[in-house]
Amino acid sequence: MKKSHLKHFNLDIYEEVLPNGLSVHVVPKKGNNIYATFITRYGSYDNVFIPSGKKDFFEAPMGVAHFLEHKVFEQENGEDPFAFYTKNGADSNASTSYMRTSYLFNGPDAYEENLNYLLDFVQSPYFTDENVEKEKGIIEQEIKMYDDIPYWHLFETVLFNSFHNHPLKYPIAGTVESISKITKEDLYTCYHTFYHPSNMFLTVVGNVDAKKTLELVRKNQEKKNYQPQEKIILKEIEEPDTVLKKKEVIHFDVEIPKIAVAYKIKVGNFDINKLKDYLGIYFNLKLDSTSPLREKLKKENMITGGFGIDVIEAENHILCVVNMESKNPEYVIEMMDQEITKKKITEVEFNRKKKTMKSGCIYQSDSVYAISSIINSDLLKLGTVLYDLYDWIDNLTMPEMRKVLKSITFEEKSVTILKKD
Amino acid sequence: MKYKKITKKNFNLHIIQTDKYKTVFLKVNFKRKLKKEDISFRNMLINVLFESTCKYPSKRYMEIESEELYELQYRGSNYISGNYSIMGADALFLDPKYTEPSMLEESFQFLSEIIFHPNIDKTGFKKTGFDITRHTIDDYLVSVKENPDFYAQMRLLEEMEPNTVLSYRSCGYLEDIEKITRKELYQYYLDVLENDIIDIFVIGNVEEKEIESLAEKYFPFKNRQKETESHFYHSKNIRENVKFSSEKLDLKQSKLLMGCQIIGATDFELRYVLNVYNYILGGSPSSKLFQNVREKNSLCYSISSSSQPLVSVLTIRAGINSWEYDRACALILEQLEDIKNGKFSNQDIEDAITTYKSTLKSYEDSSESMISLYAGIEYLGADEIPNRIQKIESVDRESVLALANKIKLDTIFFLEGGEEHEEEPPKAF
Repeated sequence: MKKSHLKHFNLDIYEEVLPNGLSVHVVPKKGNNIYATFITRYGSYDNVFIPSGKKDFFEAPMGVAHFLEHKVFEQENGEDPFAFYTKNGADSNASTSYMRTSYLFNGPDAYEENLNYLLDFVQSPYFTDENVEKEKGIIEQEIKMYDDIPYWHLFETVLFNSFHNHPLKYPIAGTVESISKITKEDLYTCYHTFYHPSNMFLTVVGNVDAKKTLELVRKNQEKKNYQPQEKIILKEIEEPDTVLKKKEVIHFDVEIPKIAVAYKIKVGNFDINKLKDYLGIYFNLKLDSTSPLREKLKKENMITGGFGIDVIEAENHILCVVNMESKNPEYVIEMMDQEITKKKITEVEFNRKKKTMKSGCIYQSDSVYAISSIINSDLLKLGTVLYDLYDWIDNLTMPEMRKVLKSITFEEKSVTILKKD
Repeated sequence: MKYKKITKKNFNLHIIQTDKYKTVFLKVNFKRKLKKEDISFRNMLINVLFESTCKYPSKRYMEIESEELYELQYRGSNYISGNYSIMGADALFLDPKYTEPSMLEESFQFLSEIIFHPNIDKTGFKKTGFDITRHTIDDYLVSVKENPDFYAQMRLLEEMEPNTVLSYRSCGYLEDIEKITRKELYQYYLDVLENDIIDIFVIGNVEEKEIESLAEKYFPFKNRQKETESHFYHSKNIRENVKFSSEKLDLKQSKLLMGCQIIGATDFELRYVLNVYNYILGGSPSSKLFQNVREKNSLCYSISSSSQPLVSVLTIRAGINSWEYDRACALILEQLEDIKNGKFSNQDIEDAITTYKSTLKSYEDSSESMISLYAGIEYLGADEIPNRIQKIESVDRESVLALANKIKLDTIFFLEGGEEHEEEPPKAF
């Protein structure tokens, strides 16, 4: 058990990799709540791979990782994990993203029982033809529900149009058509490849004893007979630097047009995580509530709320997606693009944003949820926890920011507009 | 955690001292009896105040200042609490221990600037900030259908009782917003400063005396009457037959909503038994609605019920295919009947009680939840935590059955979307 200090949260973290490959991360924190997440590094990205014990590539139907997330809750004895957790006064949930599938519980009581159960229910798959069929109606409604949300539709379209091959272009949940083809065999193939402990990690944050937690997890895992697993081989993605489609206008029943502009940026020789932070700072300075552009467009009644900014990594590229609402999309896109391509910021502004990043760490340290999601995100992207985020922030410098702005271009962009006619 | 209420002639000050958080939460609430014609004024007002001030002439300057104050988070809110309307001005900031000693006072000063030093000229609120606020609210109101769940819930309540507090929209009304002038809004602001009932809540690792003197210095409200009536609204218009209403929108998924009136429930039933009832019906993934309509029949992804004890209403909502309307309705009604007929287990009641207690425990980890808990004690006469635990534990099978018989389906609202399908369109129930 390795003990380290998380300087930015002023909390300790205890870590261990078990013999079967599962890595465990525990952050004791005063308070009542306990937030535990059990995560596999498997999301909608990982659609073409060599299944465990096989030689050839297998292409799974779109949406299978998310479908699997639903079905992992199915237990052979008929017990419903949701019901188990509510009985213990805890919330439970699961979610699938492009990079991972996560199972969690959150609650102040019955910790040991809850934690054992989390490991057990995720590690005991039970898929039948009947229970797979039954889920299709439920997921169909989930897909339709999201399809009716304009921003969701906007975002999925702009991602689709930004990439030629990268799986990020496809919806996480798949489509009504793609999920109709999923079989129990597909689910087992994906499960046995990606749900091996060596591809997973467990994070617990909250009112817990680290030593007892690790002991419990160790005992739980010893009972299960996992054989060592080879490294998972995913099909390599070749993604051009260009966007697939420069512009798309979609008919959608919205009063005020909704716009997304995705800038596709080549990572090149930069460290992708640092580049992501620099781009995040840059886009925020140019477009958030402290920016002169937003103020000007609000005064002109040209945008409604403000700009939304997402910085997304995709192997060799970073996609900066800006979304907004405007009665005059062309004008706003042009003004925004002019501002972004100026590539100018001041040192005072840059340092102010660094100050807010540091303050953010202290705010986050009050919430078991926030701490947990930062640790999980580090583990997914960096393969390790960042022990000193202040140090990381201090190492973001103005000269390097300038170098980034000099090296990259904002020429490759894809625009999606949702409007009534 | 130590709570103290200091009653002054101009405001009530609620101080919750605790070392649990690394932040201090400061909230100033303005409360008055709800009138429909006031809602749009109040929504405009709180947003204008948070758009600019005398010292910070635009949102941009406010935002830069808040970043300089170590990412102080500030926001205005406007919501309906039964018979009352409550406007809130909030500031959440880091405990000065982690920043600079002067930050406590500077944060009070920032919120005070927003409340007491608005950006005005001789007519009223300055045109730029006023127009930006109006456009933002207008845009929100014209787009309200784009959030189908929210829109359907709002429409259901309007169909139940179009002209009572039950259905008033806290976001205001387009036709009212457009009529408000800069001058009228400023006069309304002065009236709020003069007459609203003020409660100031502070939670964090703070000194009582210091907070009291900061509150006096930065929130110099005039003295006022503070009498208040009950927030609880009880409907006088109980419908004989179930009302059906529907609307078509260009959506893939339809939303089925049911609104029930809770008739003649006691205070204990509304505060405690209803919680258990709702949990069993549709308040959790192990509930009857989730298990029977979703899990067993695959009719939907989202289905739930929620209770609004302040207006004695229970609502149910489900996202379904339009052609499944009849089946979904029948299944939902079956669950309501089943509870009336005692088809639930004692374990269900126990689980509901456990969940209630765990939720209360979790509240303590969040300063915002603790403020809303104490606001509930102040405004709604809610019990203190130990009493709540004692009372929720006394809820039993008989009390759930008694309440079930006071819950009556009043209105069905169907927001109909969906693709072409060979089956019959829905009929009125």
